[in-house]
Amino acid sequence: MEDPKEVTTVQAATTLISTIIGVGVLPLPLFAVRAGDTGAPFITLLGIGIAAFGLFVVTKLGLRHSDKTIITYSEDILGKWLGRFFSLFVIVFFSILTALAAREFGAVVITAVLLETPLEVTVIVMLLLAAISARNTMNTFAYIHNFYIPIILAPVLIIVALSLKNANFLYVRPFISSGLHDSFFGALTIAALFQGSFIMTLIIPSMKNPKSAMKAGWWAIFISGGLYLLLVLATVAIFGAEEIKRLYWPTLELARTTSLPGNILQRLDVIFISVWVIAVFTTIFASYFLTIHSVKQLFRLQDHKMLAYFMLPFIFILAMLPQNIVQLYDVIKIAGRAGLIVTILYPMLLYIIDAMKSKRRKKGESKQA
Amino acid sequence: MFIFRRRKQKKAGSKPRVNEIPSKALEEIEKNDLTGSIETTVQFMKEMLGDSDDFSVKHFRIFGRFHAVLFYFSNITDKDRIDNEILKPLMYMPEHLLQREMSKQELITVLVEETLFDSQTNRANKLDQLVNVILRGETVIVIEGITEAIHVGTRKIEKRSIKSPETEQAILGPRESYIESIATNIALIRARLPTPDLCVKMTEIGRLTKSMVSICYIKGIANEKVIKEVEKRLSEIDIDAVLDIGYLEQFIEDNPFSPFPQTQATERPDKTVANLAEGRVAILVDGSPFALLVPVVFNQFYQTFDDYSSRFLMGSFARLARMLALVFSLIFPSLYVSFISFNPELLPTEFAVAVAGGRAGVPYPAVIEVLIIEIAMEVLREATVRMPKQVGGALSIVGVLVVGEAAVNAGLASPITVVVIALTSIGSFATPAYVAAFALRMLRFPILFLAGIFGLYGVVIGVIFIFNHMLSLKSFGVPYMSPVSPGDSQGLKDVIIRSPLWWMPKRPAFLQPTNRDRLGEVKNKVLQHSKVGNDQREEVQNGGSKRGHNGSGSDNLN
Repeated sequence: MEDPKEVTTVQAATTLISTIIGVGVLPLPLFAVRAGDTGAPFITLLGIGIAAFGLFVVTKLGLRHSDKTIITYSEDILGKWLGRFFSLFVIVFFSILTALAAREFGAVVITAVLLETPLEVTVIVMLLLAAISARNTMNTFAYIHNFYIPIILAPVLIIVALSLKNANFLYVRPFISSGLHDSFFGALTIAALFQGSFIMTLIIPSMKNPKSAMKAGWWAIFISGGLYLLLVLATVAIFGAEEIKRLYWPTLELARTTSLPGNILQRLDVIFISVWVIAVFTTIFASYFLTIHSVKQLFRLQDHKMLAYFMLPFIFILAMLPQNIVQLYDVIKIAGRAGLIVTILYPMLLYIIDAMKSKRRKKGESKQA
Repeated sequence: MFIFRRRKQKKAGSKPRVNEIPSKALEEIEKNDLTGSIETTVQFMKEMLGDSDDFSVKHFRIFGRFHAVLFYFSNITDKDRIDNEILKPLMYMPEHLLQREMSKQELITVLVEETLFDSQTNRANKLDQLVNVILRGETVIVIEGITEAIHVGTRKIEKRSIKSPETEQAILGPRESYIESIATNIALIRARLPTPDLCVKMTEIGRLTKSMVSICYIKGIANEKVIKEVEKRLSEIDIDAVLDIGYLEQFIEDNPFSPFPQTQATERPDKTVANLAEGRVAILVDGSPFALLVPVVFNQFYQTFDDYSSRFLMGSFARLARMLALVFSLIFPSLYVSFISFNPELLPTEFAVAVAGGRAGVPYPAVIEVLIIEIAMEVLREATVRMPKQVGGALSIVGVLVVGEAAVNAGLASPITVVVIALTSIGSFATPAYVAAFALRMLRFPILFLAGIFGLYGVVIGVIFIFNHMLSLKSFGVPYMSPVSPGDSQGLKDVIIRSPLWWMPKRPAFLQPTNRDRLGEVKNKVLQHSKVGNDQREEVQNGGSKRGHNGSGSDNLN
């Protein structure tokens, strides 16, 4: 990284938060309820736990190699070719993640706001916006995330606050209502919504004080996880588990049930979606940025600016592959769980190998001594 | 970078023609030294400057003995001073010199040190230098047989008086503004900053205009790197004429293709001083009534001097109103278009019906309607700027009232559209910095197009695009959107509201000043003291009871 290392702890935390909170918020209560019925909040909590563990591993690993990203240090740990081979998976996975997020939100927009606009247009607009912004440097990347954070957090909090008057907390009991197997897989799906936190590996090398990365990570998980939990709690308490199973985007429905006092605007869902564009943008932007920076580092390129446009058609085609919204959510579910292998298991593997290597090296040194 | 490249090409292309520029011809004189022979000097001067009829050459004798000659331009010199302060003492030998015998070698020292009553008296022996000072309005004295000349600063240029600022008026605050003379402008700054730390560095830019450019900063507060960078960028400018600070601005700004201003021009000396004290650098140029402040951040463009000179509640309220106006001027028409054309269900039913009723006779879609009125408004605004003052008022009344009313009656626009556009225009007038308001005025149109195509989604996309651009901008190494992002707690106190002065003890960190303390510890206590004056008095009366009755929140404001 040639840029001066200027990313502060707060910026790192806000970058993580705005990356994590994305389009996943819309179907989140549905995922949770499908797995755990009335125990949805518990499933969410489990998911947050898994995600926190993943972020912990990634951060720990990043701190051991605080000048490098996962692409470069995996070569040190696994050897040149094996490292590159696995890095390819990381890149492909984040391309898919970018594409799916763009596609998912495109679908939301054409169902809720722009009923007559073709899906391709909304998706390409979003990707284009991410591509143009991804030409910026790492510092600007952090500034952008830092700037939007209040606009990302506020709408969810407002909607939860405004809708709580209809809440019935009988709906969230019993607190644990599903079997171990269901709970675990449900939690994995929820944890998959936190995969944006993998961006940590790119942030650490640019941080002014990499040691505080762990603190930033905890704060990020705490805030975004808290928001998710609140949202699931509110949605389940208002609609009830059975009702939610029949809705595609329960959060959007939640926004529909709320209205501002004084009848300033009759509906809030469109406003919610419009503001939500920002949250989705930051997520797509982050995964796009991660993708092109990984490609840049994998192929030892000097500049990432041209790559930003070069990747665009590929990601667009990926986004257009699912036939319809049902298939889209199947793909999202599978890709999400498979992604956990890339974002949690792979770093864990790296960490274990790295730890063993350094132990052996120490032993070797002590033997020599 | 582009500019530099282009300029380099231009420079390379014009190299063979450089000789045609007279000022360059001067630099290529082969025999540069003064010879001591008046005849050759006069001949040389006449060759150089004699084509102008206001060039004067006056022969006379110093103390009746030594043959000498004066060179000056009669239009830019002060005739009284030449008569009374140069010719009079030179022709009429002062009493203390009457008895003294002096040689020619001594003469020049005696003249400079004992005879001429002028503080701006200097010696020089290069011909090109002499020509330059004559062109700047000085008077040159050349004496027969002496290879050194004396030049006296007799420049006198008519200048207007200091008036109150026209583009940046303040209700509470000083009434002085800069004028075209750089000497006066620097005087206005220096008068406010009687500290040895104030540095004023002068350079010359412009091959023809040779405009005096000065860089002002406060040593020990302004960041060294920024000062160096400013000097470097200014020194790289090679242009024939610099007629206003705007010429320099276009050469030193970071991103010339951005709609946003990356330097701030101000005509208020008080504002300049406040910015110097925050650690910025001011650039002034002779002939321009504006000072250029760098580095800047975006929030500066909606701050005014009033915010600081009035009480903080007033200042904060006014600033909030201004920010609202700023947002209005950018997205209000596009919000209107997207509500009307895409999501009328958002509006309360009664209002939606009223809007639909108003639009009944309008043949165009909302976006076209808004565009027509917007463009008409832009034309009207441009027209009023150029109008003579006597006609301007009439035009704006005719334009706004008559044309607006007629457009509605003719079915060209709905009444609500006119209201929306009017509010937008008023909003853009509420932005104190003309350049920043202009940026948003321009950006309104792309957002309007996006709103016409994608509705609210388009508006948000447009806004994200603009913010991302602003976040990626830098002005002399300072991120444009700081202190919002990257965050800075001290700077944040002065962004949305204007916090009380005693609540901002440190200078904003984003300018990376070398010294950050704005308030001293002791003074802070004094402020706290006077703040609780009423309570203290009561304390004394009540026999020293703690001031628990009067809201505990105000106790510890620092």
